[in-house]
Amino acid sequence: MRIVVCVKEVLDPDAVNNYALAGRLEIGEDGKSLTQTTIPRLMNGFDEQALEAALRLRDAGAEGRIGAVSVGPDAATILKHAAALGVDEIASVLMGEPSPDYHVVASLLAAYIRSSGDADLILCGRQASDDDQGVVPALICEALGMPLVTNARAIELAPAADEPTLRITRVTPDGDEVVEVPCPAVVTVSNELGEPRYPTAARKLAARRMKPEIITPEALALSPEALQPRVVAQRQFVPTVSGDCEFLPGETPAELADALIARLRQESVIS
Amino acid sequence: METKTVAVCMWSLGQGGLPVGTEEALTLGRKVASATGARLHLLVLGSLPDDCVETAGRFGVDDVDQIEDAALEAFSPDAYVEALAGYCQQESPALMIFSQAADTRVVAPRLAGRVGAGVVMNAVDVALGEGGGLQATASAYGGDTQMVYELSGAASYVVALSANALLPEPAEGGATQPGCRSIQVDLTGTNERIRVIEQARTEGPRLEDADIIVSGGRGLGGPENYKLIEQLAEALGGLAGASRPIVDEGWVDSSQQVGLTGKITRPALYLAAGISGASQHMAGCSAAKTIVAINKDPDAAIFRYASYGLVGDCLEILPELIRAARQ
Ligand SMILES: Cc1cc2nc3c(=O)[nH]c(=O)nc-3n(C[C@H](O)[C@H](O)[C@H](O)COP(=O)(O)OP(=O)(O)OC[C@H]3O[C@@H](n4cnc5c(N)ncnc54)[C@H](O)[C@@H]3O)c2cc1C
Repeated sequence: MRIVVCVKEVLDPDAVNNYALAGRLEIGEDGKSLTQTTIPRLMNGFDEQALEAALRLRDAGAEGRIGAVSVGPDAATILKHAAALGVDEIASVLMGEPSPDYHVVASLLAAYIRSSGDADLILCGRQASDDDQGVVPALICEALGMPLVTNARAIELAPAADEPTLRITRVTPDGDEVVEVPCPAVVTVSNELGEPRYPTAARKLAARRMKPEIITPEALALSPEALQPRVVAQRQFVPTVSGDCEFLPGETPAELADALIARLRQESVIS
Repeated sequence: METKTVAVCMWSLGQGGLPVGTEEALTLGRKVASATGARLHLLVLGSLPDDCVETAGRFGVDDVDQIEDAALEAFSPDAYVEALAGYCQQESPALMIFSQAADTRVVAPRLAGRVGAGVVMNAVDVALGEGGGLQATASAYGGDTQMVYELSGAASYVVALSANALLPEPAEGGATQPGCRSIQVDLTGTNERIRVIEQARTEGPRLEDADIIVSGGRGLGGPENYKLIEQLAEALGGLAGASRPIVDEGWVDSSQQVGLTGKITRPALYLAAGISGASQHMAGCSAAKTIVAINKDPDAAIFRYASYGLVGDCLEILPELIRAARQ
């Protein structure tokens, strides 16, 4: 089976959080992008876990190739990381800045997958930690007519199925659900999958020599309609948080606790 | 873009009442419909909840549309997308609004892909922009920032409204008497491709419905201390929640994760112990009426959201809170 994992480069969300927590997150003159140039860029965390899911399938005996593909201006770094983790093929669909909207990204990814020999399984992170939209997997599944299973915590090949079938444990608000879906399918992966592996030094070295296949949008021969943006980022801003916390007094933990419980009872928040 | 119809879409799967977030979605729908001179529809998939038409009237809905079909009785992404796409074909709504939840997170973007609409999730607002077109504002980076997106280039749009993004506001000028229409969509050719082998089972009450939640984070220091959270939750008659790191570490079950990628809650009281207040966590609890934070760092971000703060070691304060709450 061929597995294609879609990966995106994002600004390190923890670094963005730290700037936000310190009240120092700023938007640049274009009104759209964060000014902090020191924030590292890395592979979206959920995408790394999607890669991990692919590698675990292979560890469990699934035969075939694993590819990683990214749409963006320069995905070489994250694709090399994917290669170091053990994927067989890396591909970069070049799109300049500003990054295209999700519809265009999904059209490009679907067209790449189709033109590169199709896939039995397309894996994506549940959402990207920058815009949190999480719509690309759904748009790919519709473009390719595949089913979509979201928020997987475990993916395996279903035993004793007539045709290639995936058994997926997915995280739902009501607890874990186990589903089966025939290949080809799009599956998104959630953090419950667990820690992704680290590349070994030897693999890192080998990955350095691996070059991503560069694909231009023109080569994918998409219709103008497929490349027409529909949701265009105009502006980004940092919302204000009200913040008028009353710090309750107390010298000891017991005094603090008594002050809080008394206050909550007085305000009828608790009985 | 010509906005003739705005449709708010929902389903209740025979649960009786309207699903959480419907009134908020209707409030947004009403606002956009008024601003653009469009009619506001409420589209219900499956059976009509009891209070549906009355609520729709209060929120100024012109028409309540219903698609009833055996295929829609239980949630099925394939059937739901097909039904909604059929509706779009017949009614050509310019804007479809969903209340964001686990199932709409699948259905809304798939619908957009199916009918060629643009899509925005995590929306907190939709309004007319300066150029006269619609703009959607959505949170990004878990809420550290917000993005304003221009909705142009597609004939129609699908927007999912974040839970707790706005407060429900009934229509000004009193209730309307919405017309009720039955919409026919042929679903005989739709077969759900996903087969459920083991159903999810909610054990006991859900965080989403809880009135009081006590949550713990990495500041608890170790899994053995999470029992303090459970004991305080029990003493207060509430439920225990958690931040993501301690779920990832396996201290507690993932069903207890509060936040952007966990449970979106709206309790009367949210008490957070040893939680820093990252935007992705707050996305799941900032709608609480009263937030109490316990943190040893007086500059922790959580205090910006909290009504009451206790600065100190939560391992010392929690046992005292359990004692005081039991008294
Ligand atoms: C895409 C994405 C999605 C995410 N989704 C979620 C989500 O759904 N839910 C979620 O929670 N997080 C989520 N996160 C993670 C989030 O960004 C934070 O990393 C996380 O919420 C931090 O958890 P924490 O507050 O428990 O830990 P920390 O940030 O490590 O904070 C621990 C806090 O405890 C305090 N502390 C330490 N010791 C003590 C003590 N003895 N007494 C009192 N206080 C003490 C510290 O001062 C600190 O403030 C997500 C992140 C990303 C990138």
